Amino acid sequence: MLSRIAVQSARPIAALQSVRPVQTSSTKTSEVASASAAPVVQFKGPNEGVERDHVGFPRPLRPVNPGKVRVGFVPEEWFTFFYNKTGVTGPYVLGAGALTFLLSKEIYVVEHEFYTGVAIAIMGTYGVKKFGKQIADYADKGIGEIEQSFKEYQDSSKIGFEEAITLEERAQKSAEAQIMLFQAKRENVQFQLEAAYRARLHHVNNEIKKRLDYHLETERAQRQIKQKNMVDWIVRNVMKSITPEQERLMLSKCISDLKAMSIKA
Amino acid sequence: MGFGDYPAEYNPKVHGPYDPARFYGKADVPLGQVKLGELSQWLGRRNKNPQAVAAAVSRGWWRWQHKYVLPRKGGIAPYIQLIVGCSIFFYAINYGKMVAHRQRKYHCRKTHSISHSNI
Repeated sequence: MLSRIAVQSARPIAALQSVRPVQTSSTKTSEVASASAAPVVQFKGPNEGVERDHVGFPRPLRPVNPGKVRVGFVPEEWFTFFYNKTGVTGPYVLGAGALTFLLSKEIYVVEHEFYTGVAIAIMGTYGVKKFGKQIADYADKGIGEIEQSFKEYQDSSKIGFEEAITLEERAQKSAEAQIMLFQAKRENVQFQLEAAYRARLHHVNNEIKKRLDYHLETERAQRQIKQKNMVDWIVRNVMKSITPEQERLMLSKCISDLKAMSIKA
Repeated sequence: MGFGDYPAEYNPKVHGPYDPARFYGKADVPLGQVKLGELSQWLGRRNKNPQAVAAAVSRGWWRWQHKYVLPRKGGIAPYIQLIVGCSIFFYAINYGKMVAHRQRKYHCRKTHSISHSNI
């Protein structure tokens, strides 16, 4: 369990580097148990393609619990190896017998350091039995906090990226709206050009009308003068052509007519 | 090929991430399943290159680490195993000096001139 403290003391670990060790076999036991025939592919690396051999070289998972041991350090496999032939007490008898042989033949010499070793073994066993659980819980809590911080970093990064995606899409939509804005402005300018064109056309129209009116007026004035001149000339000439006897005759006729009319009235 | 390189047979596209405890060469019969008569052939097939020996030692060390040191809830076992292993190793290389400290020469009292002790 001291390895847990060692891992905890190496706290400044790059977060990305330690993501894979977080993936332990205990979290995948249900999936592995359900897919015992075909291995479940949970993660696809950047270099892996169709030629990836998942059967012979499955993705390694970090186990949660270490290999089982007896008497503190002897692996369990050594005991199960002998179980069929010698039963439960076989390996213990083997160990005791070997130790006895070594001691009696003095291959394992009992000297000064032997008793030191015995004393250390007794004290160590007592220390492990008494403080083991405490230290294990403390280290587990520390590692749990570190793993929690990794998970929170991942989750918060995911949320941040999703928000960024939403903002990006919104920016794309507003860019499309900008296109519509440009079109509207272009049409506006077209309208203004049209209006200016029509105003000038109107102005031209007015100017032409004015000039035509001028010509008209000058013609009319000239014709009027000509007519008056002609009438005056005619009247003058007629007046000139009236002789004095014609005038006396006309006057007497008018007087006799007037008399005749006055009698009737 | 220098020190610290990946094995020549390792191909990340086929094998995935590198695991130093795995052997990436051609698979052979495991030692536990080799018949006694085929043992010499099996030993003959082994690669006796010193680099291969070093690689085998490295893989064994990493397998031990994967099993006892690196799990999430490690225990006291790897420490005791290391202590016992180192003790045995150092006892073995110092065995010559240990022999001088044997007590059996004091167990039999010499009463006759001819000694019966066997050292």
